[in-house]
This record gives sequence, structure tokens and C-alpha cells, in this order.
Amino acid sequence: MTAIATGAGAFRLEEIPPRRYADTSAGRRQGALEGDAERTVRPVRPALGLSNISLTFGGVAALREVDLEVAQGEILAVIGPNGAGKSSLLNIVTGLYRPDRGEVWFGEHSFREVPTSKLAALGVARTFQNLALFKGLSVFDNVLMGLAHRVRTGLLRQIVGSPLARRIEAENRAAAEDVIGFLHLTEVRDRLAGTLPYGVQKRVELARALVARPKLLLLDEPFAGVTLTEKRELSQHVRNARDSFGATIVLIEHDIGIVMGLSDRVAVLDYGRKIADGTPDQVSADRAVIDAYLGVTHEDETELAI
Amino acid sequence: MFDYQFFLEVLIGGLLSGVMYSLVAIGFVLIYKTSGVLNFAQGAMLLFAALTFVSLVERGAPFVAALAATLVIMIALGIATERLVLRPLVNQPPITLFMATLGLSYVIEGAAQLLWGTQVHGLDIGISDTPFEASGVLISRFDLFAAAVAGSLVALFALFFRYTRTGLSFRAVADDQFAALAVGLRLPRVWAAVWTVAGIVALVGGLLWGARLGVQFSLSLVVLKALPVLVLGGFDSITGAIIGGLLVGAIEKLAEVYVGPSFGGGIEAWAAYVAALALLLIRPSGLFGQKLVERV
Amino acid sequence: MPVLTPAKSSWFSGETLWIVLVIVAAYGIVPLAGSDYLLDAVLTPFLALSLAAVGLNVLTGYAGQVSLGSAAFLAVGAYAAYNLHLRVPALPLLIDLVLAGGVAAAIGIVFGLPSLRLRGFYLAVSTLAAQFFVQWALTKFSWFSNDNPSGVIDAPVLSIAGSAFTSAAERYVFSLTIVVVLTLLTLRLLRSQSGRNFIAVRDHEIAAKVIGVPLLRTKLLAFAISSFLIGVAGVLWAFAYLRTVEPAGFNLDRSFQILFIIIIGGLASLRGSFIGAAFIVVFPLLLSRVGAALLGSVFDSGVLEMSQRIVIGALIIVFLIAEPRGLIALWDRAFAAVRPAKRPA
Repeated sequence: MTAIATGAGAFRLEEIPPRRYADTSAGRRQGALEGDAERTVRPVRPALGLSNISLTFGGVAALREVDLEVAQGEILAVIGPNGAGKSSLLNIVTGLYRPDRGEVWFGEHSFREVPTSKLAALGVARTFQNLALFKGLSVFDNVLMGLAHRVRTGLLRQIVGSPLARRIEAENRAAAEDVIGFLHLTEVRDRLAGTLPYGVQKRVELARALVARPKLLLLDEPFAGVTLTEKRELSQHVRNARDSFGATIVLIEHDIGIVMGLSDRVAVLDYGRKIADGTPDQVSADRAVIDAYLGVTHEDETELAI
Repeated sequence: MFDYQFFLEVLIGGLLSGVMYSLVAIGFVLIYKTSGVLNFAQGAMLLFAALTFVSLVERGAPFVAALAATLVIMIALGIATERLVLRPLVNQPPITLFMATLGLSYVIEGAAQLLWGTQVHGLDIGISDTPFEASGVLISRFDLFAAAVAGSLVALFALFFRYTRTGLSFRAVADDQFAALAVGLRLPRVWAAVWTVAGIVALVGGLLWGARLGVQFSLSLVVLKALPVLVLGGFDSITGAIIGGLLVGAIEKLAEVYVGPSFGGGIEAWAAYVAALALLLIRPSGLFGQKLVERV
Repeated sequence: MPVLTPAKSSWFSGETLWIVLVIVAAYGIVPLAGSDYLLDAVLTPFLALSLAAVGLNVLTGYAGQVSLGSAAFLAVGAYAAYNLHLRVPALPLLIDLVLAGGVAAAIGIVFGLPSLRLRGFYLAVSTLAAQFFVQWALTKFSWFSNDNPSGVIDAPVLSIAGSAFTSAAERYVFSLTIVVVLTLLTLRLLRSQSGRNFIAVRDHEIAAKVIGVPLLRTKLLAFAISSFLIGVAGVLWAFAYLRTVEPAGFNLDRSFQILFIIIIGGLASLRGSFIGAAFIVVFPLLLSRVGAALLGSVFDSGVLEMSQRIVIGALIIVFLIAEPRGLIALWDRAFAAVRPAKRPA
């Protein structure tokens, strides 16, 4: 893939984990929680698991008894009408909301309430529906911030510039440079993030999430408000993250075309319930999904533009 | 022996002076609710009102005429503030707006004293500060009067917001600015109304506080007493401002009398802040403030 | 916070050259050319206020935590240094200075603790508690001022390794050295990961948390560094400039003054802290000259003080509306206009 060409320290092929398709016999013992059992074959431990998650806001149910599993190296799209609870789901996974019931699993770790501050160390990164860049930092520094959790040196060492502090800083800078080149951000490298056009900011946010090479990448509407060409390109980058370093990816997206082309599996939420879960083909043929979502023309598309 | 009667006297004195805090705090809440601004200049407005009124009276204006003239000036000041300071800063972060009102307080304080001089004026609004006795507890006549004025002002506002068109649109704006805009309310008009009301509150507060402390620069420091009140009650609740004021009044007096001696006295200056901070750590939006879910 | 000037600009040689030039000029030219009045009444207070503004800028401009209690930390620094000097005479002055900053930092951390839960002006209000509490404690407990009946104490003579800094020029050089060293260290800090963390917490706290920025540690660090710098500035203010110490000099107005310096000079800009401080020191002097020239005897000290308040207050409003990045943005723009080739947009 293109990634290999970027050279030293960039994404390497040997880190690709076995794809889930490779295993056709093992994964059935957990029983078919989802709509279809035939092709939903899971490795022993899902990269991300949600079990029986419920969330209410002042009596209004945002999520009801949602179960979800995402296999290592899988790209899962979560779709559903506005207000279906998609973002709430990601906010629970990142510990910004505390569910009323249920648990979140990262590999073998389970949490009633996910500790947000430990996410990065657990190998989880995310982007936000509304831009969440650090406006007063340059693009480069924003991307560098994606590695903030790796800087373990104390204040004094940072000021004095001890060998360890320098080495960490140099490594992080090299990694940030790589991602910036990879996502074609070199031209705006030194610009303040807050001064850039929306689409570019979306890209910077993706770069910031990718720089730490997360095991689990959560993307909240990463392509909203960008042009069609950019969408195609960005979705290629998302796929690359999986292919080159084996990231497991959960993305929320409204553009059905992109979703169908990019994801291995699609989960559909409606009024806080999961109403379908399967391959793009299965989901797009599902009656309940058509009624709840696909049949309705893109009414929410308009609100998404910036 | 615990002197229950003395305790009651301190408590009542504290609650009554607390009403005066509430009065200042209400001015804050009105503006905060409708435009999201913590108006630090409220104290300066109070000073300006009291100083203008006193100076007019001293220059021979009859009481009512001076009152009317001051009212007009205060309303003009409020509207000018909205026009010149806050409207250009619309959509800025709250803390920027706060700093702008901090600057504004300097302008108003400076202007007030440049216009009317820096000497201390006495202000007599005809209520003597002699205490009377009610079932063995001494109560200050003045405090009682001030409490009554503050109470009726609050009642008046309650009626205003319930029954007038402007009042209704005020509440709509306070609930949801965007929705209010969407149904065609004209925000600037509502804001002008709110600043008018804030000007009136500043006038009443200025007269009461001026009569109590003398009309001088330190009057504008009343704002510092109102801040812990707001923290306790929540910045967006009128009920909170009233109860917060009473609480601060009571806490200050009780702390000064019962805890103060072991610290060498004078803890009035910060007792309310410490109480407010302690509460904040438990309830970050105050007793009555709205708790908002952060959307990301 | 408005969008602020970047903490980082590339470490190009031109910038280093400028820093060196300014420092050389400050050391070489000013002590020779400056009169005692200029050194004593303008430059030394300018340096102390600059350092305080650098300190507040770390907390408010960079880390986004608004503080209205700066004067409290000036006072803590001044009183801590005084008491260390008085009670532990064996300690050299420089150690006193660092320890005084440390005491201020410790108290800063205590008053910074609420910042984990409080934002915006809730936090600002809680920093007022620091202001009132410290001022009260220093007035109330005469131990702090060595039981001096008037509460006003004389600061000891500045001396390092036997050589005393007594003349106006010597006290200026002493202050200058401290300010230069601490400012350069602060610059290093702001360009390290900790400095980036400050801005991240300021610009998007939730995103910073998700990324793994330790929020409490970052905020407390900002409070500690800021209070340390302000505390040392307090020592300079008391020992090098006023040469007396009294609690009344560290009132709320002083806190506001330092806040105004960074708003007018430029939030999140170290250069802005210096330009702002220069403005705050020079402006009243100019105003009194101009006022006296235009209005004659009408322009007495009372009128001067009031018109000063009005103009400063109005400037705050004007800057917040028209140029939230402060004087430094104007300066940069003027600079760019003169030499368009040098600076990219």
C-alpha cells in the first residue's frame, strides 16, 4: 500500500494481524447475538465489546440494552438516524458518559465506567463529531499531542532537555512528521489549526488519532462536511490504518455509500436500540433498517455541513 | 451555656443583611440568564447610581426628581453597555465577556468619581438604623426595611416576568437563545430590557447600600460580596440568588461571632468564599444552578 | 479564550538573535544611559510586573485558567523571602528567592485544586478566595511582619556573596538577571510537552483528556509554575523596587493590574507580557504629563487616577473587541508591514 513507501518508522506490513475472514470454524461458540450467524465469525477476544449498555438522560433513554462486538482488525460502521444514540455510544466507550447499566470491554479488560485518562495507554484513540482540535496549536503540534501520553519525563528533564526527554521528543516528532506527510498535511504543517478550512481540520483530527497507531480507533463522523473527493481519500486512509497496523475501527457515518464500501460490518441503531448488525449487504436488505433509516432519504445530511 | 437568644439575634441580623446581598446578586442573575455574561460592573453601576443620586440631592434637586433623573441615567448606562460593550462581543467565550465587564467596571468607577468627586457622602433615605425588640431579639429597623424593599422588588419582577410580553420573551431567551431567535424574538430588544432592569436593581441596591455604608468608592466592592452568593445559589437562578444571599449573610455573621475569635477575627472577608468553594466542590453548579450535560 | 497567538514558532536563528540583542541592550545600554529616576521608577517596577505577567500568562494565557488572585502570590513571595531572610539568616539571598517562589507555588497548588472541577468564572471566583485569604492572613498575624506595629516592614538589602546591590542601577541589574533567567526557562517549558499540554487543556479539555493529557497534573503544574514566577516577582517588587513590604500593596487592584497587562499585551505571549507591563508602567506617566500640559492645574492627582482608570478600562474593552491578541499582535503586524519578506503569514 501507499504507506510502505513513506519509509522509516512508517506503517509496516508485518504488523497486520490475521484477518477475521481467515478463520471460518472457530468463532461460533458464543452463539449468534447478531442478526446473522453465518459469516459473523469472531476471534477469541473481540477488540471492543459492549454488553447490555443502557443510558438515560433525565428519563429519556438514549441507549437501550445495546450489545456490540468488534473483532480485531474489523471495520465496523454504526449508522442510524440522528438522535439514535450513535455518539452516545462512542462517549460511553471513551468514558465521557457513564452508562446506567452494562459493561465495556477492551480485549480482556472490562469496565463499568471507562477511565478516560487511561484510554491512550490502552491503545484507544478517537475523533469527535464537532471538531475538537487545539485551535491555538499548529497542525504539527496538534498531531504531536496525539502522543502526549508517551511523554513520561518530568518537568525538569523537559526544561533541561535530558537525553531521555530529547529522545522521546525526537521519536514523537518523527512519528508526527510521518503521519503529516501521509495525510498530505505538509503544506499546512505550521499553520494554527483554528485557521484552517473545515475539511482540513477533519483531516488533522484524523492524523492526531492515527499518530499513536491505536489498536482501537473510534471515528465520529470523520467524513462529515468534506468534499466527495476528500471522502474517498480519507476513507482510504482509514482502511490503511487497519491494513497497515491492524487497527480495529468503529466509525459513525451518514454517507451510506462510503459506509457500504468501507466497512466489514454495519450496526444499525434506532431510538437507542440496535436493530440490525451484519455485513453491508445484509443490512441494506434488512426490512427494519430500510424502514428506520435507509428508506428515509438523507434528511439529516443537510445539518451536517459545518 | 449556649446562648440561644444571642444566636438567634446573630442569625436574624445575618439573614437580613443577606437580603442586601441577594439584591445585588439578582442583578447579576438577570443578565447572566439572558446573555451569559457575569457582569462584574454591577458593583460599579451601584456606585454610579448612588453617587449620582446623592450628588443631585446635594445640589438641591428634590428627592423624587433626583430619583427619576438617576433612573433615566442608569437605564441609559445599561443600554449603552449592551450596545457598546456586549453586542460587539457576541458569541465570544463567557470569560472574555467577563473580562470586558471588568474593564467596564473601571470605566464606570472612574467616570463616577471624575464627575462627582471622591469624597464620602452621607445618604439619608429616612429610615433610622435603631434596633427594636421582638420577643427579646433585637432587630435593626433599617435591615428590615431593606429586606422589605428587596422582597417587593423580587415580587415585582416575578409578576413582570409572568404577565408581560417582555417578561415572557425574557424567559424564552433565558431558556433557549436559539429557539427564541427562531420564533422571531428580537434579542437586542430583550437585552435592552434586561439591562434596563439591571440598572433599576443597581439604583435600588445603590441607595440601600449607600445609606448603610455611606456613598463612596468602596460601594463598588459590594460586587465582591455578591460573587460567593452567586456561586452558592448558581449563576442562573433567581431563587438561588435570594437563598444564596441569605446563606452568605448568615454564614458571615455566624462565622464571625462563633469561629472568628479563634482566628483573631475579621474572617468576614473570606468566610463566604470558603463556604462557597466548599459547596462548589460538591455541587459544581451551585445549589440551584442548571446542571448541563456536556455535548461532544 | 479567544484564539491566541501560537506558543510555538520555529526556532529560527532570527528569533534567538532578537532575544540576544534585547538582553544585551538591557544590560549594556540602559545602566549607562538611564537616569536613577528612569531605573528606579520605571525600569525596575517594569521588570517585576513583567515577571508577574509572564507568570499569570502561563496560567491564564497558555493553560486557560483565569486567576484574579495574582497579588496574593506576589505578597506570599515577598513575605516568604522576608521571613526566610529574617529567621534563617544563614541562607544566601538567591536561595531565599527560590524558596519564596516555592512557597508561593505550594500555596498556588492549594488554590489550584478546585480547578479540576471548576471552570471559567467559577474558578475565577475561587481564586478571589486566595486574594482575600492571603491578604487577611498577612494583616491579621503580625508574625509575618515580625510583629512590626505598623505592619510595614523594610526589605533587607539585596546582596549576593558579599556584594550588595544598593544603587538604582545595581538593583535594576539584579532584577534584570532574575527576570531574564526565569523568562528563558519559562520559554523552554512552554515549548516542551508540558507547554503543549497547557494549550491543549485550554483549547479542548475533553479532547486533551481522551488523548491522555493528565488534567489535574497539568493544571496544578500551571498553577505551581505561575505562582512560582509571581512569587519571585513579588520578591523583586518588594526588595528591589519598593524596598518596603505591606499587605495593602498587594490588593485586588494589583491582581487586576496584572490581568490587564496580559490582556493588553497579549494573552499567551511572553513578549506580550513585557509589552503590556511596559504600557502599564509608562502610560500613567505619559497621561500625567499630557494631562498637565493640556489642562494645567485642573489635572490633579485625583483626576489623574480617575482618568487612568477610565482609559485602562476602556482599553481592555477595546482590545477584547478589536484585537483579542493584544498589543503584541499590533506589533507583529507593524513589523510584518515594514519587512514583508521576512515573516510568512
